[in-house]
Amino acid sequence: MSFRYKSALLSLVSMAAIYGWFFLTVTWKPANPANQVANVALLVLTVVLFAVVQAIGHAILAITSRDKYGAMDERERGFDQRATNVGYYVLIVGALMAIWTLRGAGGFDMGYAVLLAIVVAECARQMVFLFLHHRAA
Amino acid sequence: MFPIENNVRAEREARGMTQSELGAAIGLTRQTVAAIEQRRYSPSLEAAFRIARLFGMTVDQLFRWEE
Repeated sequence: MSFRYKSALLSLVSMAAIYGWFFLTVTWKPANPANQVANVALLVLTVVLFAVVQAIGHAILAITSRDKYGAMDERERGFDQRATNVGYYVLIVGALMAIWTLRGAGGFDMGYAVLLAIVVAECARQMVFLFLHHRAA
Repeated sequence: MFPIENNVRAEREARGMTQSELGAAIGLTRQTVAAIEQRRYSPSLEAAFRIARLFGMTVDQLFRWEE
């Protein structure tokens, strides 16, 4: 497995786990002002946790990688372009669906809906990249 | 399988290079070098020239269109 493959796998798993936990927690809480403040604190914690996991995980991958060439090469750039293309369409669909939160939901909910669209689009992008990489192996 | 055959593997092994070393020398990952050797990937013209130059050969000595 190349460094980029492992990197995409790490990003997908950590994003799905950490943001999945965040969205599940937010969804289960009743909507009231006290919980909204707690949810914002939880969001900050989620972003920081994700950044830390990414930084430490990628540092470990870089140290343990046997590849002499760690950058994305022309073949992987091709995978990345196709994956980004799919991720873009998922993001557009997610953003359009987030418009539904205008119907009675508050500003926080709309923000979370947009964030969810970004997270799902990024997960889709990483999944397509991994699929193309795996298929070509 | 792509219609371009090559003798990258034979030339690399003749020079005692690993796939990883060849990849690092021309800006490709080891996996991409392996894919080129197994004809699962056709390199760009730039990559083909880089490999040929590294081996001191011309591109048509290294890559051939299989009829």
